[in-house]
Amino acid sequence: MLSDEQAVIELREVEKKYAPDIVALEGVDLAISKGEFVFLTGPSGAGKSTLLRMLYKAEEPTKGSIMVDGMDLSGLSKSQIPQLRRKVGVIFQDFKLLFNKSVFENVALSLEVLGLKKEQLASRVRQVVEGVGLADKLHRKVVQLSGGEQQRVAIARAVVNRPPIILADEPTGNLDRKRTKEVVALMEELNARGATIIFATHDDALFGNTHRRVLKLKNGKIEEM
Amino acid sequence: MPLGIILKRAITDIKQNLVTHVMTTIVVALTCLVFIFFSVFSINLQRIADRFGKELAIVVYLKKEIPQDRIPSLYQKILSMDGIENVRFVSSEEAFKRLEGYFRDEREVLEGVDPMFLPPSFEIQINRAVYNPARVRKIASELAKWTEVQKVQYGKEWVDRLEAFSKAVRAAVVASAILLLVMAAFVVSNTIKLTVYARQDEIEIMRLVGATNGFIQGPFLMASFLQGITGSAAALIVGLFCYEYVLNIIGQTSLIRSLNLQFLPPAYMIAIVFVSGLFCMAGTAMALRRFLRL
Ligand SMILES: Nc1ncnc2c1ncn2[C@@H]1O[C@H](COP(=O)(O)OP(=O)(O)OP(=O)(O)O)[C@@H](O)[C@H]1O
Ligand SMILES: [Mg+2]
Repeated sequence: MLSDEQAVIELREVEKKYAPDIVALEGVDLAISKGEFVFLTGPSGAGKSTLLRMLYKAEEPTKGSIMVDGMDLSGLSKSQIPQLRRKVGVIFQDFKLLFNKSVFENVALSLEVLGLKKEQLASRVRQVVEGVGLADKLHRKVVQLSGGEQQRVAIARAVVNRPPIILADEPTGNLDRKRTKEVVALMEELNARGATIIFATHDDALFGNTHRRVLKLKNGKIEEM
Repeated sequence: MPLGIILKRAITDIKQNLVTHVMTTIVVALTCLVFIFFSVFSINLQRIADRFGKELAIVVYLKKEIPQDRIPSLYQKILSMDGIENVRFVSSEEAFKRLEGYFRDEREVLEGVDPMFLPPSFEIQINRAVYNPARVRKIASELAKWTEVQKVQYGKEWVDRLEAFSKAVRAAVVASAILLLVMAAFVVSNTIKLTVYARQDEIEIMRLVGATNGFIQGPFLMASFLQGITGSAAALIVGLFCYEYVLNIIGQTSLIRSLNLQFLPPAYMIAIVFVSGLFCMAGTAMALRRFLRL
């Protein structure tokens, strides 16, 4: 196990109950060190999304403490949440895109909230959109894209501001083999450049013969494989 | 976040919801118009009351048979009374000259009239600082008791009424200002509520990618500020046109012209525009606190 100093994400005895009796997570102890690439797996309803949601404070644990990049999330005030979320790029399972806006506008949002002007962010946005293979659909509305294309927009938006931590919640759920490989390759590349990555998936093929750490959630508990 | 970006986002918001925003602006304008109407009315009424108030005087007509040497002591006696600003003696001759002045070209009608037929009088000016109708009445009745006095006139009671009326109108201005505040805040906050509801998903997404409250609120505040200033500016333009129109109809008589009516002073207009903008913004800020659960 890694020492605490290096841990960029750390959960201690975390429990999450949805009132009154749904136990999503129970007694989760977990430390992920800087620059790690971790797979998070487990059957549907195991609590993968819940675990990730707590890491960007969209959900509060009912018990236990969570540290992300040196920040104690329980002590984080509402006005500090944006700081946390700028460090954590999230690829949401349900994309959370603005469907009536263009691919460009959706991806640019991550940079706009930092106060960047359009001319400052345009080339960066174009480059990342190109990286997920959507260069020719840059100015299409998201609603006109296929499910897989939308998923790639969500990926582009999560990484465009180069966050040190990336939480990917089923980022390949709607993609074919080829696109899935591309997305995994993209994550590998970002990880090689220093990003810490948690990759939630129930696609065994993705981590079947990986050398990386695989965390398995089962009935709200973590088992390392 | 730079003001330019906020402005751009606000304008995009307004364009996307043009009808709602225009309706809100119209309501703001109508509210301001009520306020402007009362203001113009009040300001001019006050000017008129001020002008006639300055000329406000008590006229004490003396009995004709009063000997000349009693005049200085009467003069002193009046001057020593409380609240008297100035006393002026008008002799019978002077009164006659004034009369002649009124007749000007038709002076002949006074031919053969005894220049001394008018009574001598004192014209008394009341100190404006202590002026009030009750005091005038008290001074007048005091003077009427004197044996030398034939008659006391302070016929400008209508100035008192004007003053009282002008006070009532000023109260209406204050009331309409409060109405403006409440209405503007209510209408604008409701528009914002609709907009916020319509864009809950978008706001949620902005939050998830790390938008600060300022980033989320800025465009809403800017949009409502724009509504406030355009609404009130439109009301001022409409108000000015109405004012000119009415003045054209009634303003032909020399009486009205002599009143020197005016629209609102420029500083007052600028204040209306900015205060309206600020009220709308404050209403929105309060609405946002509630709807965004800040
Ligand atoms: N808002 C909620 N209210 C009540 N229960 C919830 C809520 N969100 C999740 N749950 C429950 O918590 C458990 C874990 O859900 P979670 O979404 O974390 O699963 P998951 O591992 O991401 O599943 P999947 O692979 O299908 O995405 C489930 O039993 C789910 O029904
Ligand atoms: Mg999930």
